[in-house]
Amino acid sequence: MSTKEQKSTGVDLQRRKILTGATGVVGAAGATFLAVPFVSSWQPSEKAKAAGAPVDVDVSKLQPGQMLTVSWRGKPVWVVRRTPEMLERLESLDKQLRDPASQESIQPSYCQNPSRAINKEYLVVVGICTHLGCAPLYRPAIGSPDVGADWQGGFFCPCHGSRFDLAGRVFQSVPAPTNLEIPPHHFKTANVIRIGEDPQKEGVA
Amino acid sequence: MKKLIAIASFYLMLPLSVMAAGGPAIELEPAQNNLRDQDSLQRGAVLFSNYCMACHSLKYMRYNRIARDIGWSDEEVVAKMAYGQNKVVDDVTTRMLPGVALDVLGTEPPDLSLMARLKGTDYIYTFLRAYHQDENGNWDNTVLKGTSMPNVLEGIQRHASSEDYAQAARDIANFLEYAGEPGKMQRLDLGWKVIAFLLVLLLLTYILKKEYWRDIKH
Amino acid sequence: MSYQESNQQATQKKQNSLLAWLDRRYPLVSTWNEHVGEYYAPKNFNFWYFFGSLALLVLVNQFITGIWLTMSYKPSAAEAFNSIEYIMRDVEWGWLIRYMHSTGASAFFIVIYLHMMRGLLYGSYKEPRELVWLLGMFIFLVLMAEAFMGYLLPWGQMSYWGAQVIISLFGAIPVIGPDLAVWVRGDFVISDATLNRFFALHVIALPLVLIILVFMHIVALHRVGSNNPDGVEIKKYKNEAGLPIDGIPFHPYYSVKDTMGAVFFMIPFALVVFYWPEGGGYFLEPPNFEPANPLKTPEHIAPVWYFTPYYAILRAVPDKFLGVVAMGAAIAVLFAMPWLDRCKVKSIRYRGLSFKLLLTMFVISFIVLGWLGTQPATPELTKAAQIFTLLYFGFFLVLPFTSANEKTKPVPERVH
Repeated sequence: MSTKEQKSTGVDLQRRKILTGATGVVGAAGATFLAVPFVSSWQPSEKAKAAGAPVDVDVSKLQPGQMLTVSWRGKPVWVVRRTPEMLERLESLDKQLRDPASQESIQPSYCQNPSRAINKEYLVVVGICTHLGCAPLYRPAIGSPDVGADWQGGFFCPCHGSRFDLAGRVFQSVPAPTNLEIPPHHFKTANVIRIGEDPQKEGVA
Repeated sequence: MKKLIAIASFYLMLPLSVMAAGGPAIELEPAQNNLRDQDSLQRGAVLFSNYCMACHSLKYMRYNRIARDIGWSDEEVVAKMAYGQNKVVDDVTTRMLPGVALDVLGTEPPDLSLMARLKGTDYIYTFLRAYHQDENGNWDNTVLKGTSMPNVLEGIQRHASSEDYAQAARDIANFLEYAGEPGKMQRLDLGWKVIAFLLVLLLLTYILKKEYWRDIKH
Repeated sequence: MSYQESNQQATQKKQNSLLAWLDRRYPLVSTWNEHVGEYYAPKNFNFWYFFGSLALLVLVNQFITGIWLTMSYKPSAAEAFNSIEYIMRDVEWGWLIRYMHSTGASAFFIVIYLHMMRGLLYGSYKEPRELVWLLGMFIFLVLMAEAFMGYLLPWGQMSYWGAQVIISLFGAIPVIGPDLAVWVRGDFVISDATLNRFFALHVIALPLVLIILVFMHIVALHRVGSNNPDGVEIKKYKNEAGLPIDGIPFHPYYSVKDTMGAVFFMIPFALVVFYWPEGGGYFLEPPNFEPANPLKTPEHIAPVWYFTPYYAILRAVPDKFLGVVAMGAAIAVLFAMPWLDRCKVKSIRYRGLSFKLLLTMFVISFIVLGWLGTQPATPELTKAAQIFTLLYFGFFLVLPFTSANEKTKPVPERVH
């Protein structure tokens, strides 16, 4: 087939361009649809979700000032019963914090408040440092020796020295960028907290 | 014409031939179950819980998956299938303690997750209804002679109408077909859309091919 | 302006572009031109010529879905069966990926058998394409090993007992047989060790060999040029530019045509994936929905459909060792096709009645043997299998004599 012959047939290049484009676009759409199963198969499977089902925590035996650790989706979740004094101290810290109003941090909207809790008394927080994923230590006492004399109580990460207050809010000039994450949770009864599920929502998260 | 034969032979190669695999001695009755019948699936799930789970497990299923697929809430599935004894994320296990079956029945009752794919729903339907009693009062099953499984539906067989009895077996078979491949309905619903898309793409590629091949003179 | 001219202009514009930079360091343009852009293929390809590119499409499908399956599959006797059900139920879209892979396995053999049939019809194995045929036969051989090992992985009853039967065949070899079978299994029965090594071979070793062979198959083909339904060499008649008059560049003409063929193929493929994944018990066999049980053989074992012709030949011979030999010979003899067929005329269009009859007989015996291999071996059916085994081999035995002085029709100088 020579070019001369092609010319004589009067090839409509415009038509070819349009047809090639149309086929290309539809084909690309198809390829995108086809990619969906392969991409989403990397999501947590049903089994992983079942293992990450909500956890119920009974806090009736938790004394003021105490902390309790439960595992949810393989992550440590802390429940801290804060004393009125602890809550009072929180307010005075705002100026030393990086994100006092939790605008850059991860928490359900119902916990984006000064105490970062549904019920002020109970802090429910994921015990993983937002810096590089270490587990911070609970240092509730004022002036804990390993943190510093001006320490007002909170969490201290031994890996890189990040500090958080008793609402999981991060202090300035530490490596951690944001406050500790608050998981979805709600009070199933007055003494039972269900972690991993938003309030007034049925079904498994 | 030759082209047509070639295309036809391509399609004919696919099935080769459909033949019945070697199976039970008696002819199986068609179960005529319907996976889209959610009421039947729900009844089947309850019947399964009441009549089968004492011995058999459904270990590849979780309660919450069943709930989601057959139209129950999480609370309902646990109430109806597990008497509130299980969490919704639990696997559907048998209520029999390990080892008991071997002592009592002399065999380990198989898990039923894949029974419908292994034997087919017709088999399950026929098997459940194939129990009969000889003059000495001994039970046997015409589908699986000498089975250690008792006639679990005896109560329904005796007291319900024959339609209800058949429906109970059909509902169980239906539920087991669902459990054999819980994604089956999704598969059937998606398939025609994929094929419709491919037909559009085929048309486009056909026009494109025709356009280019105008250059070629034979 | 023609397509090629506009293409040339575009190429010129890119002279100093990224492409040019790359091309100075890697033969990008010349490779593309040699194998696609300026690969001249005969203009008269028909329906049968789709199956080469379709085989490549299925290969890609098997690679991608296979890689994704390994992400959730567990190659151990304790976990393999469960992990398949995990894929089918718990992994998002796992069922689709798995069905695409299992359907792809059967599709591969359908496509490959038709591709080989094309070779037989139009004499594509003949001089100068003997090596293309031989490489293709090696691909077929590796593909069979690949499919066989892949079939063990679901660790169902058919997986287990199918592998048991086939590996026991090694035991039929005199002297070393029994030790060889044990060595292949890594145990005295099919076991965790067998599964684990089959997994390694199935997902790494054989795919690697396969892709190298496919590459060589295509390079060898492009060296000698494609055959066509008329079986005439297009390179004999060239224009002033030295291009074959009856040839057309692969791209865009065959790239658009093969794209259409690929979409056409995807429709029955999707039909099977979505509406018929068990393939009537041939693509996914019902006994394989029961976990492997070394203590209980299923009532009726048959290999997957694509092995049944050879399985029927194996059973037709009433001697264990000779049966294995016959089965091996049935495949091996195909390698010799370029030398068994001594007729100079390539295409069946211009060949004598004797070849047409022989080939018809061969195809019928292959299909009938395939069916017989799925059936229980009753005395009548075994008799039938023996007759069709003779016909199968008869093709290769008679062909050298009839083809030497076959009454052929005149072959045209150029393609139709």
